[in-house]
Amino acid sequence: MSQVSTIGPGTTVRGSIRGEGDLEIHGRVEGSVVVTGEVLITESALLKSDVRARRITIRGAVAGDVSADESIVLEAGARVLGDLGAPQIGIRPGGLVRGNVSTGGPLAETKSAPAAAASASRARPAATPAARPAPARAATPAPAARPVAARPAALPAPAARPAPVARTAPAAREPAPSATRGDTTPSAAVVAARAPVEEPELDESEEIDDAEPIDGGPPPPVVPALRKGAKASLRRKGAR
Amino acid sequence: MAGTIIGQGITIEGELTSDEEVVVAGTIRGKLSADGPVTIEAGAVVEADVSAASLAVGGTVTGNVSAAERVDLLGGARLIGDVKAARLTIADGASFKGNVDMDV
Repeated sequence: MSQVSTIGPGTTVRGSIRGEGDLEIHGRVEGSVVVTGEVLITESALLKSDVRARRITIRGAVAGDVSADESIVLEAGARVLGDLGAPQIGIRPGGLVRGNVSTGGPLAETKSAPAAAASASRARPAATPAARPAPARAATPAPAARPVAARPAALPAPAARPAPVARTAPAAREPAPSATRGDTTPSAAVVAARAPVEEPELDESEEIDDAEPIDGGPPPPVVPALRKGAKASLRRKGAR
Repeated sequence: MAGTIIGQGITIEGELTSDEEVVVAGTIRGKLSADGPVTIEAGAVVEADVSAASLAVGGTVTGNVSAAERVDLLGGARLIGDVKAARLTIADGASFKGNVDMDV
């Protein structure tokens, strides 16, 4: 190599740079950098790519994983958003890193290429729920989720209310609701069956009872339930 | 700083954009556009459309070429593609296949 390969300050590369030899990057690279020799990333450089080489010296900005077979040195002004992996890693005062740093050795091969994709996919998943994939996929799921939510409000509510009617009614009549539930259910069913007949009377008297919450007036909570349940039950009956 | 140098043994796949001098001794696949002079040295392989202020070719280029000022095909150059430039020189020993548009 008579000349050191150089990406000048006014140069942008979108794509991959790979090969044998050393590389100086003063400009921008979006893609990937895989080189067998040394890589120098200077102050003016801006990389959105993984970098892989034997030795890497960074004084500029890198968004991506950095992996070296021998060493990585972050000098003052270095800004790295990504993982570092090399047998030797030096971070001088003024070097910034946000990511995992491992001195065990270079990042796994799979991590640089496939993992780059994987990390990208991971990053996207994180982003997707919030932003991108969410809209596309969420468009369908969200509707699904909303319908579910909407249905619960409409359909389940009735279902929930009828159940309360049966339970609460028995509970009101029987002092120990929790223990008696099992026993009460049959009676509850009976009550539920009878409840419609009783409802109109309960409504008026129980509304008054609402003011008196817990006393002897077990009906108070029951009342609203009965009202709603009654309507719901009517719908149900109609539906059924 | 000699601008951008793509050394021997280096391969770029993608798009290279520059506003300064570019020297290619390696391989480029994709697209190369520069506002400065571009030199493609002997042994270099460029499979890309190239646009530059001026272009000197000593290596192999496959793709359309345009230059604001001039295109020089040096001896040993090999160019397959159309050339669009105000001035064109083809040295002895250069091979060239394509159309020329000199903007007459």
